[in-house]
Amino acid sequence: MKREINIALFCVFLALAWTGCAKRDRPPVREVVVYASVDQVFSEPILRDFEKETGIKVRAVFDTEEAKSTGVMNRLIAEKGNPQADVFWANEPIRAEVLKQKGIADIYRSPQAEAIPEIYRDPEGYWTGFSARARVLVVNKQIQDPPTTIHAYTDPKWKGQGLIANPLFGTTTVHIAALFSKWGDEKAMAFMASMKTNAVGVSTSNGESADFVASGRYAFSLVDSDDAVSRMRQGKSIEMVYPDQGPDEPGCLIVPNAVVLIKGARHPDNARKLIDYLLSPETERKLAFADCAQIPLHSGVEIPKEMKALEAIKVMRIDYARVAETLQAIQPYLKEWVGL
Amino acid sequence: MTKRIVLSLAVGFLFLAGLLPLLLLLIQSVSEEGRLTFDAYRDLLFTKNQWILLGRSLVLAGLCALVSTVTGTTLGLILGKTDLPWRRTFTVLYALPLFVPPYIMAVSWFHILGREGLVRGLLGPTVAAVTSDWLLGLPGCVWILSSIFSPLVMLLTLAFIRGIPPRLEEAGRIVASWTGVLRHVTIPMILPAVMLSALLVFILTLGEFGVPHFLRYHVFPVEFFTQFAAFYDFRAATVMAMPLIGLTLMALAFERLCLRKKTYIIQSIGHGQRRLVIPLNRSRRVGILILVGTLSFMWTVLPLLTLLFESLSSSAYPRAWTLAGHSLMRSLVYSAIAATVLTMLGLLTGYLVHDRSFRFWMFLDSIILFLFALPGSVLGIGLILLWNRPVTQAVYASPMILLLGLVAKYAALTHRISVSTLEQIPASMEEAACMAGARWLRRFRQILIPLARPGLIVAWLTAFIFCMRDTELAMLVYPPGCDTLPVRTFTLMANGSSDLIAALCMIMVLGTLIPLGLLSLAMKGCWGGHVEYPISIRP
Repeated sequence: MKREINIALFCVFLALAWTGCAKRDRPPVREVVVYASVDQVFSEPILRDFEKETGIKVRAVFDTEEAKSTGVMNRLIAEKGNPQADVFWANEPIRAEVLKQKGIADIYRSPQAEAIPEIYRDPEGYWTGFSARARVLVVNKQIQDPPTTIHAYTDPKWKGQGLIANPLFGTTTVHIAALFSKWGDEKAMAFMASMKTNAVGVSTSNGESADFVASGRYAFSLVDSDDAVSRMRQGKSIEMVYPDQGPDEPGCLIVPNAVVLIKGARHPDNARKLIDYLLSPETERKLAFADCAQIPLHSGVEIPKEMKALEAIKVMRIDYARVAETLQAIQPYLKEWVGL
Repeated sequence: MTKRIVLSLAVGFLFLAGLLPLLLLLIQSVSEEGRLTFDAYRDLLFTKNQWILLGRSLVLAGLCALVSTVTGTTLGLILGKTDLPWRRTFTVLYALPLFVPPYIMAVSWFHILGREGLVRGLLGPTVAAVTSDWLLGLPGCVWILSSIFSPLVMLLTLAFIRGIPPRLEEAGRIVASWTGVLRHVTIPMILPAVMLSALLVFILTLGEFGVPHFLRYHVFPVEFFTQFAAFYDFRAATVMAMPLIGLTLMALAFERLCLRKKTYIIQSIGHGQRRLVIPLNRSRRVGILILVGTLSFMWTVLPLLTLLFESLSSSAYPRAWTLAGHSLMRSLVYSAIAATVLTMLGLLTGYLVHDRSFRFWMFLDSIILFLFALPGSVLGIGLILLWNRPVTQAVYASPMILLLGLVAKYAALTHRISVSTLEQIPASMEEAACMAGARWLRRFRQILIPLARPGLIVAWLTAFIFCMRDTELAMLVYPPGCDTLPVRTFTLMANGSSDLIAALCMIMVLGTLIPLGLLSLAMKGCWGGHVEYPISIRP
């Protein structure tokens, strides 16, 4: 009998614990659900500030760039029929484009977006870019006469010394797709083939690429500017080069964050408030001074001294929607290139 | 009648939690725009590279199963059958890596053996380059995964050793040395546990993505990760999971073949019965102590100490607690509830398979292992597709969806432990109660559950540990704002400071260890309450 009582008490405890959880989980009246593929260490403080300033409770699902945002993107796609998210904060605009093409994004033209250059906004209003990263060359400081162009990858002088993150995922895919979109398939495929001939190494992520260059295993690598800045702030032996800045060169690829209103959002008004907040110059200033060191797209926003303002960089002119289409078309080719 | 209703309810629950989402995915994998197509399967079968990756996965899983089974069984025998000092301490030490998600152990080993790691500081860059090359590949994967999964084999071996009746070993000792008794009595008695744990390690390694990916050893799970991450193609990802499941079923068939025609009728040790312990002489004691101590230092102390030292900054623990305190509490509550449900469910399905109550017992046994082998991300997508509907919003938007996923994913653990436990209970016990007129429910409650109690405790603890460390499934289905500790640690790892991550890992280890310690203290009497002391019988 005593045993039965113990078991019953244990079950009651579990039930109470569960109820306690469920009570906390019950949505308050003022809330917004955001799925973020921007690393949690950078996105969470911004979302907490939004909570403090507006009183709107933020319930978030986070993912990481390292995990290639597998969690949130697949959740968003699988939840299409009954969306749970109100807002998607993407770490680059291509994922936002994928959501637009799959009918998961909704139109919202934020008043805060008016001062953001048009190139970084979806013309139909399905996504808006903010706080960007530049695709830069990170170079080991010991290297004499460091490369200044991405063509260093195919230059025999640098054979076996170049490194690139897996082009199947993340911002590296965006970069390769941008090259395909800009150069055309033939030239881009020749470039990729030359990279193979020139024994370019492939790492699992941009962060790892930056670490390998810092340790001297490779001379240079294309990475995101935040990966370079964070290693420079740690005192690692690297420098950051904005590639292809010459008069006849295409310029540096800019990869902004993108924010999307989800179609069928349960809290559309709060979602719009959060989007306005994310697109504000103040949020861009915070993200510039955070360790992610992102470049504001609003002009005149204060930035740390080691960063260049957007106006000071020669930017590669691309159409992000076209890049997204190209990206999906070249994925099988990239899979083969990587050897999977 | 009651028996059929109760067992049908258990099967029904499993059907809802695991089988139905899986069926939905399988149907999607063979249909495109309303027509039946096997294109995705054909593409898979005719791609050479995927077979190479599958071969690599098979090699890795086979090696890990072999190393973990040999090491875990040996450790289980040493810690469960000899009078080696500090057995409890060693048991806890060896079990610790099991509490941590595998990728964290990989990160810790990278801090030790990597080019910039501890080895570089101690032995110089040349040695560090060698250890780094060794770590980044098959040997590193086998080393780390074996250190994580050997404790599972060890714990199951320990649990089964407790069920061996002393009279059998006593009888053996009259005519044979301890080596002979171990060979002909003890090891055959624990063979079901050894085979079960080898099977579990094989399946766990086969589906492991994090450690091989981190160590740049390409294995088959990278295929469905690619389908998810680069193509967002659920159909192809489901297809990619099929070969892993096929290999699992082959391993299951092998296990059945090995245990065929063997019966294991073992009586539980009653109160007052003494378990036999192998007395070690001085030289052997010292030798084994050095061996066990060295291995525990290398597999557990070194990586965890690295994490501990990394976490020892003034602000790491307060920051980690602020950021992840709620996540830890959620993990504990969810895991405790899931482990309880899993133990009850596992006992019922285990009984069904043991008793062969329904004709489809073998199908059920296979399907439970099938779900265990299914990658968590594939199961997660299946759960979303099935449960994310307006009518089931209450389930999907609550932690209930995570509970369903955990139950489906880890049912194999409690189910198989229950089957092995029930095999140790003589059928005569239940038959006698039946003859005396006791109905099934009463027999189940008053005969089987008390006799199976040690096995049920092991099942609960195993389920609790695996639910606590689950990342892949939880990542896809946790309700917004209700993440678990492994998910939070994983998402904070990206660009998070290393002291914070190390502190989160230590909190996770302690968060698992403290409730387990309290529980084992509270349940001390459940193991039989016997006194053990070394005895020496000369043949």
